[in-house]
Amino acid sequence: MRQNKLYTVIACMGMLLVGVSCMDNYEKLPVDQFTGEYVFSVTDSMGTQASSFLNSIYDLLPEGHNGVGGDYLDAASDDAISIKQNDPSVYQLAVGRYSANSRIYPVMEWGRYYEGIRKANIIINNIDVVPYKTTFINFNKEVKPLNYTVKAEARFLRTFFYFELVKRYGGVPIIGDSIYQLGDNIELPRNTFEECIDYMVNELDEIKYDLRSITMPEASVFAHAATIEAAMALKSRILLFAASPLYNEKPVTTDNSKLKELVGYESFNNERWKKAADAAMDFMDTFGSNGNRSVGLTNNFTEIFLGFYSGAVNPELIFFRQGGRNKNIETNNGPLGFTGNSLGNGRTNPTQNLVDAFPMKDGKARGESSEQYPYNSQRPYDNRDPRLQLTVLYNGADWLGRQLQTYRGGANNPTGSAEYTRTSYYMRKFMGNFENTNEYDNNYHLWVIFRYAEILLNYAEASNEYTDSPSREVYDAIIALRARAGIEAGDNNMYGLKDNMSKKEMRTVIQNERRIEMAFEEHRFWDIRRWRVAQDVFANPLKGMSIIRTVSSETYTETDLFKVNFEEKHYLLPIPYSEVNKNGNLIQNPGW
Amino acid sequence: MKKIITIFVFLNVLLFAYSQSFQQKGVITSTEGEALIGVNILIIGEGTGTITDLDGYYELEVKPGDRLRFSYVGYMTREMDVNTNQTTVDVQLAPDQYTNLDEVVVVGYGQAKRLTMTGSVSAISAREIRTVPTSNVQNALAGRLPGFFAQQRSGQPGRDASDFFIRGVSSLNNAGNQPLIIVDDIQYSYDQLQQINVNEIESISILKDASTTAIYGIKGANGVLVVKTLRGETGAPRVNVRLESGLQTPVRKPKFLNSYETAQLVNEAYVNDGLVSQVPFTETDLAAFQRGDDPYTYPDVNWYDAIFKPTASQSNMNVDISGGSDRLRYFISTGYFLQDGLVRHFDNSHDNVNTNYFYRRLNYRTNLDFDVTDNLNMRLDFSTRFMNINEPGSMNATGEIFNFERMTPYAAPFLNPNGSYSYLDTRGFLPTLNARLANEGYKRTRRNDINILYGAMYKMDAITRGLSSNVRVAYSSIDENFRRVSRGSDGYPTYRYHPDTDIYTINPNEKYDYATYSVTSGVDQEHWNLNLQASLNYDRVFDGVHDVDAMLLYNRQTDTRFSNVPNNFEGYSLALAYKYDNKYLADLNLAYNGSDRFGKDNRYGFFPALGLGYTISEEDFFSDRIENIQMLKLRLSYGLVGSDVAPGDRYLYRQVYEDGGGYNFGENLQGYDSYREGALGNENVTWEKARKFNLGLDVIAFDKLSFTIDYFHDNRYDQLVTRHDIPLILGIGVSPLNVARTINRGFDGSIGYQTGIGQVNFHTNFVFSYAKNKVIYKAEAQQRYPWLAETGHSINQPFGYQFIGFYTPEEIGWIENSDPLAPAIPNTDTPVRAGDLKYKDLNNDGVIDDFDKSAIGKPNLPTTALGWTLGANWKGFSLSVLFQGSFDYSFSVVGTGIESFKSQFQPVHIKRWTLERFENGEAIDFPRLTTIPSTVNSAEGYMSDFWLINAWYVRLKTIDFAYQIPSRVLPQYINAARFYVNAYNLLTLTNYKKYQQDPEISTNTAGDAYMNQRVFNFGVQVTF
Repeated sequence: MRQNKLYTVIACMGMLLVGVSCMDNYEKLPVDQFTGEYVFSVTDSMGTQASSFLNSIYDLLPEGHNGVGGDYLDAASDDAISIKQNDPSVYQLAVGRYSANSRIYPVMEWGRYYEGIRKANIIINNIDVVPYKTTFINFNKEVKPLNYTVKAEARFLRTFFYFELVKRYGGVPIIGDSIYQLGDNIELPRNTFEECIDYMVNELDEIKYDLRSITMPEASVFAHAATIEAAMALKSRILLFAASPLYNEKPVTTDNSKLKELVGYESFNNERWKKAADAAMDFMDTFGSNGNRSVGLTNNFTEIFLGFYSGAVNPELIFFRQGGRNKNIETNNGPLGFTGNSLGNGRTNPTQNLVDAFPMKDGKARGESSEQYPYNSQRPYDNRDPRLQLTVLYNGADWLGRQLQTYRGGANNPTGSAEYTRTSYYMRKFMGNFENTNEYDNNYHLWVIFRYAEILLNYAEASNEYTDSPSREVYDAIIALRARAGIEAGDNNMYGLKDNMSKKEMRTVIQNERRIEMAFEEHRFWDIRRWRVAQDVFANPLKGMSIIRTVSSETYTETDLFKVNFEEKHYLLPIPYSEVNKNGNLIQNPGW
Repeated sequence: MKKIITIFVFLNVLLFAYSQSFQQKGVITSTEGEALIGVNILIIGEGTGTITDLDGYYELEVKPGDRLRFSYVGYMTREMDVNTNQTTVDVQLAPDQYTNLDEVVVVGYGQAKRLTMTGSVSAISAREIRTVPTSNVQNALAGRLPGFFAQQRSGQPGRDASDFFIRGVSSLNNAGNQPLIIVDDIQYSYDQLQQINVNEIESISILKDASTTAIYGIKGANGVLVVKTLRGETGAPRVNVRLESGLQTPVRKPKFLNSYETAQLVNEAYVNDGLVSQVPFTETDLAAFQRGDDPYTYPDVNWYDAIFKPTASQSNMNVDISGGSDRLRYFISTGYFLQDGLVRHFDNSHDNVNTNYFYRRLNYRTNLDFDVTDNLNMRLDFSTRFMNINEPGSMNATGEIFNFERMTPYAAPFLNPNGSYSYLDTRGFLPTLNARLANEGYKRTRRNDINILYGAMYKMDAITRGLSSNVRVAYSSIDENFRRVSRGSDGYPTYRYHPDTDIYTINPNEKYDYATYSVTSGVDQEHWNLNLQASLNYDRVFDGVHDVDAMLLYNRQTDTRFSNVPNNFEGYSLALAYKYDNKYLADLNLAYNGSDRFGKDNRYGFFPALGLGYTISEEDFFSDRIENIQMLKLRLSYGLVGSDVAPGDRYLYRQVYEDGGGYNFGENLQGYDSYREGALGNENVTWEKARKFNLGLDVIAFDKLSFTIDYFHDNRYDQLVTRHDIPLILGIGVSPLNVARTINRGFDGSIGYQTGIGQVNFHTNFVFSYAKNKVIYKAEAQQRYPWLAETGHSINQPFGYQFIGFYTPEEIGWIENSDPLAPAIPNTDTPVRAGDLKYKDLNNDGVIDDFDKSAIGKPNLPTTALGWTLGANWKGFSLSVLFQGSFDYSFSVVGTGIESFKSQFQPVHIKRWTLERFENGEAIDFPRLTTIPSTVNSAEGYMSDFWLINAWYVRLKTIDFAYQIPSRVLPQYINAARFYVNAYNLLTLTNYKKYQQDPEISTNTAGDAYMNQRVFNFGVQVTF
């Protein structure tokens, strides 16, 4: 009897043992993870998985809205400052407090772009196994299977990432279509600046007919995708940078002969401006007002940033990153002094320097304007270029059904607050049309990467630099922008432009027009570098407006905020110190 | 002399020789108050005696002049003359802590005799730490075990457990340095240990070398902490009740300057920065602050005192019942621990919730042993722990007080005259801290731990004598979730009072009523662990001299967290021990085990370790000549152990693609999947390995002195680290590779001494530990300058600038004139000024930047830990004192803990650099004050050896005084009763003045964790 009990116990224990061993191994491999064969599947005739992989490359495109530690990159130029006084990264960037070792993200990315390049190479090397049944019709009306465009989009994005690297660092290592593995020798040297430019331009020319074109079929799915227009816009931008003084006429000086060809062209060649001008002209002739008109200027300046491709409403978009339907931009950057659904944190404060760059309503500079549109330093926002009020919120501007009080102590610039606008301005651009509503509402917010206005400006600049004196087309390009902006045409239909300007005068006009038209769109930071004028620009202090209100009057006084000491070495960004350490063949930029 | 005594004794004997014999009786207890069962009581010379019964009670017929000897295993023997006037004699026996040759310590899967052990083990009986008034076992262990390093980072109720390490650290993976914790042979997690009630514990050991840890193979590399819980013994039920109640108060209370002093310094900083026009306080303001007669316009609040009480209570109750019949033995224990926080209660008129910190813990354990047959023994252990932690819902109250941006002494009055709360005029009109504590809710964390252990042991002497088999199944689970009740700081009304007009103005956020609380909840932990062990044991002595022990163990463990796929572990271990006549000792431990974290071909590893011992004192030639040395033993061990803790993803060995989150596009904003490539797999990933060498010496001499020392040298290699020398051009992350190597070496040991002087028993023990590590290789890229390299330094070596003084006005002049004499300047946009911190320009490029950072100070973990225990017993009284010290480490406080305009102004700011103080040659402890957060004076931006200080501390860690009531005054039904008072962290000596914080602070933080606590405690223990 007792023995039986014992056996029962032992049997129970045995059962337990078996039970335990049955409970292990849910699954041999984690079922929520998958391998390359699944992503590039021989049975996926829709290419769904491959598209998902492509999406992750798009995800690496820059998000410019409040993208630098919560600020716009333009707050590191002379156009704006951050409201934050606790040493935000954009301020460190502005004053040059960075080094190869303490870099400021995301502006000084290096690895992120090589991550994108690797991903693109994975698509390029693997997409052909996916049996796409779908086809598309390209710009030349040829029918092609969809994997052509998937591969071409990957190559476009790869070129885009290379250009992001080149504009920061000069020549960088080009890795071709290789997908490196552990153990491969990846101590690659930098390619020369020229090789990089040629590689990128060649890539774009090769892929352009494999891309789809505007108007995109199935915009609800593909609106964001790279098109032939995007590729040609990128080409225009690349060639404009390549021709610019920083890389062409006057690269940063260096004693190191090996570095010379990395930071720019070895010698100046004016023909590069022609290439740039031709690329822009080619764009206008093919897609713009002289071509099939798939792209053009949007009538309403604010709509550019709020709506998708639409030939009727927003033809100006060429390429963008989707930002979502929300109030984020308004909440981050709207004026202080509102709460609830009207809350704004006043993040980006345009400077007086930017406000001063806007001409009067007749297109003439302050003080040079006609009697009809005089400038009054105590009513400084009257009679200005209409783009001013679409770009900057100033004292007295209409917003959320009120007139803003940005004088010190006013409702929208409270004294009790630790963070107040030191310039008396807030950013208006990119926001929805909330002049007359009571609170913010959700809007589509796009981060526009290429738009038609840039092509016009690229053309105007390159052409003006190439020729001895500006051609009529240069005037036309600027006039097109001014007309759209709502500047008065004037008796001579010149929209405030002087006749027969010299090359130098025209350069000033174009540079200024680029500044105000493209403010906060991440151009100014790079433009003052490639023009090689940053040292001159920052010779002047950044300025704000001090507005003192008494019972009877308001007094406007310009105040100096701070001065930036811009050194020669700041024209190019430092390659990460750690990368130079790891890779003996990687030469650091001069001064770093 | 001897003769005189002999004569004296003889005379005595003569005197009482004819006296009448009588019954002497009494109770024998340990100095901790436990009744001792089976104590031998012998009349010297007579050969007669008795033993104590289950209640420790004895009765013996004695006559005057007899001398009694009380002896009990593990306790110091006492002798005592019979006194005719006393028929009831209670005796306390002090534990023989140091010289007991038969002492047994718990090791992996068994026990070992101290005399014959070859490994390196430190052990402590739980009764020594039972009365330490802390809720965590590991806090009570600091300073008591050689090789044990502890750092208590916080005093927050329920979150105050020390981090601890055995023999320091040797892995570059931070998580890879945690010792394995084994309770009753089952693995516990780090935070399960802190939940255990010390009243349930019998003893604790730490296993330090390869010989003792190899049996745990892949998990043993960081040392093992082994806990054995109490079990019942045959006998009548014995009830043990312990009630304690105590007061907590901060070890170190931060001091801040008052409004007047602060306002002066604020003004000075503005002037320093050239912002003369923006100076915030006028002379009138300053005078008003100084007068302090207008508390509403010119408040002066010591926010620390306003928010925190001086003391908070804690109490601990424990009841255990143990006993057993022939076949069944039981131990049942229930404990409840309460600890309150220091935050005062602040009312709000709308809805009161408790936002104070507190901790509640209920422990329950049943350990049952059942002899089913003579050969089959089964056990069932069940224990559970319910925990409740409360804290303010959205803030760290200490941090808020330190933070100058959130609070200043003049920011707002504590309360308005009508009792309403005020708000700060600056910084977003934040309500005062008391208002926020009253209104912004709490976070309550609840946790439930269950452990079940079911075991069976079957003696198989029928097959061969000494053979037995053992099976254990253990299950444990943890559930932890939280509830957070919160309301934003703009969710309730606060007012500003204007005394001149007697008007209250509401906070500009214009909230006239209370917003409802929002409730969130979440799950912090869900953890299940199932462990199965089966072993065959063989233990037999042949011919009286050949002692053979063997164990073959199968162990498998499945560990599941949340809904993840379980981690599996499987292993076989073989332990062989041979002892020849207790002289020549050999231990061979072999483990073969694996973990499914690693790829198919790299899953299993083999971990052998050999331990050898030679007890010279057992040799006849030795014991014949040297009487005063009872034990002299040399030990040596060498072996391989592993660690399967790997950073990051579980499947390091394969490359997978994974979901990369959605990417939105399209007019209707649809989310689309995005896939991304995962980090490149490392097919060869495997565990870290440690080759451990240990050489030890044990001495017991004069029956009073014990000495143990161990030297160790660990070579930790194949450490999993992410290579830092792979260019990012690769474009993808890389799994950690088994490349890094460190060595860790040092020594630890103890010296114990005990003696009896008359009625007084005295004992002392000095414990020392030293461990220093060095990184040999960590796949670091070649640095531009040699001083930037981390290889060759200790793990977690801090790097920073070298402070060489303050910039003088003369030097600033040179800098402005670009004089060649000018010192190097930092790369900041704000020019340096006189009184700023000046750092050494290591690369001589004239700029202070990252290339001038070198190794400064020492790692935060002390290399040296010392403990010194002193104890004495006299009659019913006992006193025990522990000093604990840590030496040879560094720490710094940054940001809101110290920097001007980030931190509250503190006494150290008075000793700042000013031109006047500089010219007067006064002591300067702080740089020029500045309002700009990013200057060279910021510790956050420019860590340097100005901020990083080398520290040491010595604490009077515990002091314990107890009185045992004589049994003759106790009622019959009470077996023993004992009162005690004790204190924890009573005194702290340390060597720095710069910071307000406790020396165990976590380095490079604001140092604003909840203050470590000093505890005064009163307790009573009664045994029925």
